Amino acid sequence: MSRLLLFYRLMARPLLREPVRAGLTVLAVALGVAVVLAIDLAGDAATGSFRSSMETLAGDNDLEIATSGGVPENLVGTLASLPYSIRISPRIEDFAVIAGTRKSLPLIGLDLVSEGSGSSRMDSGTAAETPFPKTLEEGFENSGGFDGIWVGASLGFKAGDRVPLLINDQVHDYVIRGAYPDSNGNESAIVMDIATAQQALTRYGRVDRILLKVQKTASLDEWQQRLRSALPAGVELRPQGTGTNENRRMLAAFRWNLRLLSYVSLVVGAFLIYNTISVSVVRRRAEIGIVRALGASRGVILSAFAGEAACFGIAGALIALPLGRFMATVAVKLMAATVESLYVSSRPGPIELGVGSVFLALGIGVGVAVASAYSPAREASLVSPVEAMGKGRREYDVRVQKGRVLWLASGLSLAAAAASRGNAIAGKPLFGYLAAILLVVASALATPAVVDALLTVSSKMLGKIFGVEALLASRSLAGSLRRTSVLVGALSTAIAMMTAVGIMVGSFRETVAVWMSDQLPADLYLRPAGSAAADRHPTISLGLAEKIAKLPGVMAVDRLRAYEISYENMPATLLSVDVDVLRSHHNSDFFSGRSKEEVLGELRDSNVVLVSEPFAYKHNVKRGNSITLALGGGRDSFRVADVYYDYSSERGNILMDRQTLLRYLPDAAPSNLAIYVSPESNLDAVRYEIEQTAAGQRVLLFSNRDLRGEAIRIFDRTFAITYALEAVAVLVAVMGIAGALLALVIDRRRELGLLHFLGAAKNQIRKLILVEAGLLGLLANTAGLMLGFALSLVLIFVINKQSFGWTIRFHWPVEILLAAITIVYVATVLAGLYPAQVAVQLNPIEVIHEE
Amino acid sequence: MKNKLACFVAVVFSLHPAAAQYRTALPGYHYEFPRDHFNHPEFQTEWWYYTGNLKSTDGHRFGFELTFFRQAVSRDPAKTSAWDVKDIYLAHLALSDLDGSKFYHAERTNRSGPGIAGVDETRGRIWNGNWQIIWRNEAQELQAIDEQFQLHLALRSEKPPVVHGEDGVSEKAAGAGHASHYISLTRIHTSGFVELGEKKFEVTGTSWMDHEFFTHQLTADQTGWDWLSLQLEDNTELMLFHIRRRDGSIDPYSAGTFVDAQGKTTHLRASDFVLMPLRKTWKSPSTGAVYPIAWKLAIPRLGLELEVKTPLESQELTGKAKLTPNYWEGAIILTGQRNGQAAAGVGYLEMTGYDHAVRLAR
Repeated sequence: MSRLLLFYRLMARPLLREPVRAGLTVLAVALGVAVVLAIDLAGDAATGSFRSSMETLAGDNDLEIATSGGVPENLVGTLASLPYSIRISPRIEDFAVIAGTRKSLPLIGLDLVSEGSGSSRMDSGTAAETPFPKTLEEGFENSGGFDGIWVGASLGFKAGDRVPLLINDQVHDYVIRGAYPDSNGNESAIVMDIATAQQALTRYGRVDRILLKVQKTASLDEWQQRLRSALPAGVELRPQGTGTNENRRMLAAFRWNLRLLSYVSLVVGAFLIYNTISVSVVRRRAEIGIVRALGASRGVILSAFAGEAACFGIAGALIALPLGRFMATVAVKLMAATVESLYVSSRPGPIELGVGSVFLALGIGVGVAVASAYSPAREASLVSPVEAMGKGRREYDVRVQKGRVLWLASGLSLAAAAASRGNAIAGKPLFGYLAAILLVVASALATPAVVDALLTVSSKMLGKIFGVEALLASRSLAGSLRRTSVLVGALSTAIAMMTAVGIMVGSFRETVAVWMSDQLPADLYLRPAGSAAADRHPTISLGLAEKIAKLPGVMAVDRLRAYEISYENMPATLLSVDVDVLRSHHNSDFFSGRSKEEVLGELRDSNVVLVSEPFAYKHNVKRGNSITLALGGGRDSFRVADVYYDYSSERGNILMDRQTLLRYLPDAAPSNLAIYVSPESNLDAVRYEIEQTAAGQRVLLFSNRDLRGEAIRIFDRTFAITYALEAVAVLVAVMGIAGALLALVIDRRRELGLLHFLGAAKNQIRKLILVEAGLLGLLANTAGLMLGFALSLVLIFVINKQSFGWTIRFHWPVEILLAAITIVYVATVLAGLYPAQVAVQLNPIEVIHEE
Repeated sequence: MKNKLACFVAVVFSLHPAAAQYRTALPGYHYEFPRDHFNHPEFQTEWWYYTGNLKSTDGHRFGFELTFFRQAVSRDPAKTSAWDVKDIYLAHLALSDLDGSKFYHAERTNRSGPGIAGVDETRGRIWNGNWQIIWRNEAQELQAIDEQFQLHLALRSEKPPVVHGEDGVSEKAAGAGHASHYISLTRIHTSGFVELGEKKFEVTGTSWMDHEFFTHQLTADQTGWDWLSLQLEDNTELMLFHIRRRDGSIDPYSAGTFVDAQGKTTHLRASDFVLMPLRKTWKSPSTGAVYPIAWKLAIPRLGLELEVKTPLESQELTGKAKLTPNYWEGAIILTGQRNGQAAAGVGYLEMTGYDHAVRLAR
C-alpha cells in the first residue's frame, strides 16, 4: 500500500500537473504502437491470411496437378480410368470483370455435370463435398443447359438475371442460373461449366488444374508415387494449395520489410520515453533523496520509475488499439494495392483485432516503455540521499565520456559495414537489418559528441546572427547535453529513416524510369481490358495483331505472351516475344554487356531463354546455366543466354522467342501488343485506324507516354504505404520535440524567470525557445541526413537486393528530400510555439520567490 | 426394361425440342454383331446393363449390378470441344453381399469429356471412369472400382445374343416408335474376383447383359414397372416385364422372352404369363417405398410355375441427386416346377415407381 502511495505522490501527481506533456508522451507511444499494430493487422488481412482467389470452391481435395500453360485435358480421362477410387476435379481458372463496373472476380470453370450431380465422379461412397448440389437440376430446369453462370450469393443477383462479363477482350451476356453460399470462406466468384469457360476464354485442350481427392488408405506421399507413373513428365503433382503457399512465401519478404519499417516509429517512441523518464528523474532528484533518506530501497526507486514508464506504455497501448485498428483499414487498402500490382491477385481478408492483438499492443507498449526507461530509472536508484538533498546540482548534467563513446560508435559503424557484406539468410537480408540497426545505434552514441561540437562552434556564430537569445539558446542546449542529444537522436532517427527510404524509393523510381525508356520503345501498346494483375494475363483475340500489322503506317507489331508458371516452388512469369521485332527495336540491357543483336540472335526459335534479374537472383541462375521448364505436359531444358535488367515485376521473368513457346504451348493469342508506327506516319491517325480495327473488342490502347505515366503511377501507389509509415514516424518525433521543449521550459522556470526579472522582453523569451527548437531541428536534420544516407546505401544495395533482387542505381531525389526536410524543420519550429507561450506566461516574481 | 435412368433424363432433356432429330426404334432393324454391342448415337437413350449371381470358392454368395447409361443431350454440330455436353453418361454399381446381408451401391454422372466416359467400338470399350467393360473378341472384361469394393470379372457368353420383341423391336406402348431395340446375353459364364474391404473373394457364377437403345419409348400413364431376368438350372432363361399403369392395371404391352437351352427364343405376350406379388414386402427406411419382394410367376404355355424370393431384402438403390429415381434391383432365387419336374435358378428383379410414380415422359 505504501508503495502505491509513494508511486502516486512521486510519479502520478507530477504527471497530472502537466497534462500536456504527459499527454504528448502517451500519444507518441500510442502512435508508435498503433503503427506496429496497424501493419500487423493489415499484413494479416492483406497477405498473412493470403489465400489465392483460386482456392475458392476448391473443396476438400488433397492433391493437385498443374503445369505451366495448363494441363492437357486428356489427362482427366487417363486419371478417371485408373483403378483407384479418387475424385477428380478439373478446373479452368481465370478472372472476369462485370462489365461497367471495376469488380473483378475469379472465374472458375468446373465440370458441373460431374460435380453438380451430387455424385462426383470417383467419390461414390461418401457424400461429395460439392458446393453445387443443384447445378445439374438448375442447369436443366432453365432449359439452357450449361451455358449459364453461377455466382456467390453475396453479389446479390437472382437466377434469371443477365450479367455482361468482360473476359479477356470480349463482353458477353451470361444468364445467372443460381447462387451458391459464399459467406464462409468461399469468395464470390463466377462459376461456369468447364465447356462454357473454355469457350469464353478460347482456351481449348487444356485445364488449369486438376484437383484430386484420394482415399485415406495410403499416405499422400504414397498416392503421389502411385499416380506419378500415370502422368507425363512435365506435369507437377503436388499437395493442393501449393500455389497458395508459394505465393505466401513470395509475400513473406514484402511483409517482413514492411513490418520492420513499422518498428521505426516505435524506436522513435522509445527515444521519447527515455527522454521523459530522464526528465522526471532530474526533476525529482530532491524527492528521490528524501524518499531514500527515509529508508526507501534502491529497488523501490527503480520500480517506481519503471512503473511510470509502464503507465505510459499501458496508456499508449490502450489508445493504440482503436487507433491501430483504424490505421489498419487505411493500411490494408494500400497494402492490397501493392500486393495486387506487384505480386499476386488477392482480396484482403477481414481485419481481426483479437486477443493476440491486444497482447501485442500491451506487450510492445509496456516493453518498449520499460526498456527505454531502464537506464534513467537505474540512474535514479543510484542517487545517494546526501547528494540529492544538497541543492547544488539541480541541472541534470552527467558528464558524457565523449572519447570512449566515439570510439564505440566508430567500432559499430565498422561492424555495420562488415555486416552489410553478409549474404541473405533463408531469403531474408538479416545482415542488412543488422547493419541498419548498428548504424542507428552508432549514430545515437555519436550524437552527444557531435551535438556538443556543433553547438560549441555554432553558439558564437548564432549569437552574431540571431542575437543574444540565440547565444543563450545554444548554450542552454549545450548545457543539458544529454537531454539535447536524446531529442536530437529521436528526431534524427526518424529523419534518417525518412531520408533513407526517400533515397531508396527515389533511386528506384529513377532507375525504373530510365529502364522504361529503354524497354518501352514502341509507339503504341495494346492490351485487353479484362482483369489484369501481376499474375493475370488476359489475352487478345486471335487475328487482331495481324490485322493491325497490315494497317498502313504500322511498321511492326510485337506479340507478347505471358503465362504464370511455377519454377522451383516459386511463382514466375514466362514471357514470349517476337524476337525479330524486338531485335530491330529494343534496347535491352544485359548483364554481360553484350549488344542486343548478339543476345537476341541466340534466342530465335531455339531452346534459349533470357531471365530477369530478380529471377536470376532468386534462383541463383547465371548466364550459360540451363534451367528445366515444365511446359504443356513436357519437360525440357533451356539455356540461359543472358540476364537482363527488369523492374516490371518482382516475381521474376523468363523470356523466350514466340516461336519457341508456341512449340510447347500452341495457344497463339497474345497478351499484349507493342505497335511500332513508321516515322513518316501520323501517330494519331494510325491510332485512330487501330481503334477502328479493334472495335467490338474491349482493348486498351496506350501511347508510349501514357504507359510510362501509368507505370509510374502504379509505382507510386505501391510505395504509398512506405510514405505513410515514414510520415507517422516523423510525426511522433515532432510531437516528442514539443513535449521535450515543454519540459525544458518547465525545468528552466528559474532561469527564464530570472531573465524576465532582469528585463528580458516576452518576445525575447519566445525567441529563445523558438531558436532552441530550431537548433534542435537543425541538429537532427544534419545528423538524420548523414545517417539516412548511410542507411539508404544499406537499403538499396543490401536489403532491397537480397529481398527482391533488383539492382537500383543510386540517385539523390533532391526535390523530395528538400521538401521533406523543410516540412520537418518547420514542424519542429512550430512545435516550439506552445512551450514558448508557456515560458512567456511564467510569472517572474513567483519563480524567483521559489528560490 | 431398365429405363429408370432414362425416365429422369428423358424428362429433363425432353425440354429440348431436338428430340425429333433422333431416330426411333422401328420394326425391321437389321442387327449386326459385334457392331450392335456398341454405341448408337442416333438414338437418344442407350444402356448396357450387367447383373449376375456369383459364388466364391468357399460358398459366399454375391449379386452385382453394373449399368452404363447414355442419354443424348445435343447433336449440335457446332459443339466440337471435348467438354461440350453431347451425351450424359450415368452409371450405377451395386454389390449385394448375400451371405453378409449387406448392400453397397454407387452412382456416377459424367459427360464423355476428354475420355472420362463413353463407348469406343474400335477399342471395344464401354466405360464411365474406372467402371468399364472391355470386349476382347467374344469375351468381355468387367472392372468396377469403388471405395468400398471392387469387381474384376471375366465374362464369356454361352449363347448368342437374343433380340427381344417381334421384328427387331420390343414394344412398350401403342404407336410407332414407342419401342426399343433390345438385345440380351442371357447366360454369361463369369469368373474373377470380388474385393470387399480388405477381403478378396475368388468367384464364379452366371451373369446377364441387357443392351437397349431407343428414343421415347414410354407414355405418361405408365407409372412403373417390374422386370425379371431368370436363369434356370436346365440351361433355359426368361426375361419378363410388367408395366404398371396409373389406374393400377397392367399394361397390355407387358411382355417377355423365353430362351431355350439351344438359344432359340419364344416371344411372350402379356396374356402368356401371370406375374403376381405375394404378401411379403420390404419397406425402405430411406425412401419409405414398400416393395413386394416375393412374386409368383406362371407361364402355362411353357408349363412353368415359379416362386421368386430374395436372399437379401435391402437391395434398393437411392440416388443422391434429387432427379435420380429410387428403385429396387436385386439378386433373386427361383424355386418351382416345369412340366411336373422340380425347377430352380437364380436371377435379378427390378422394381421401379414404388416411392412415387416414375415420371416417364412429357
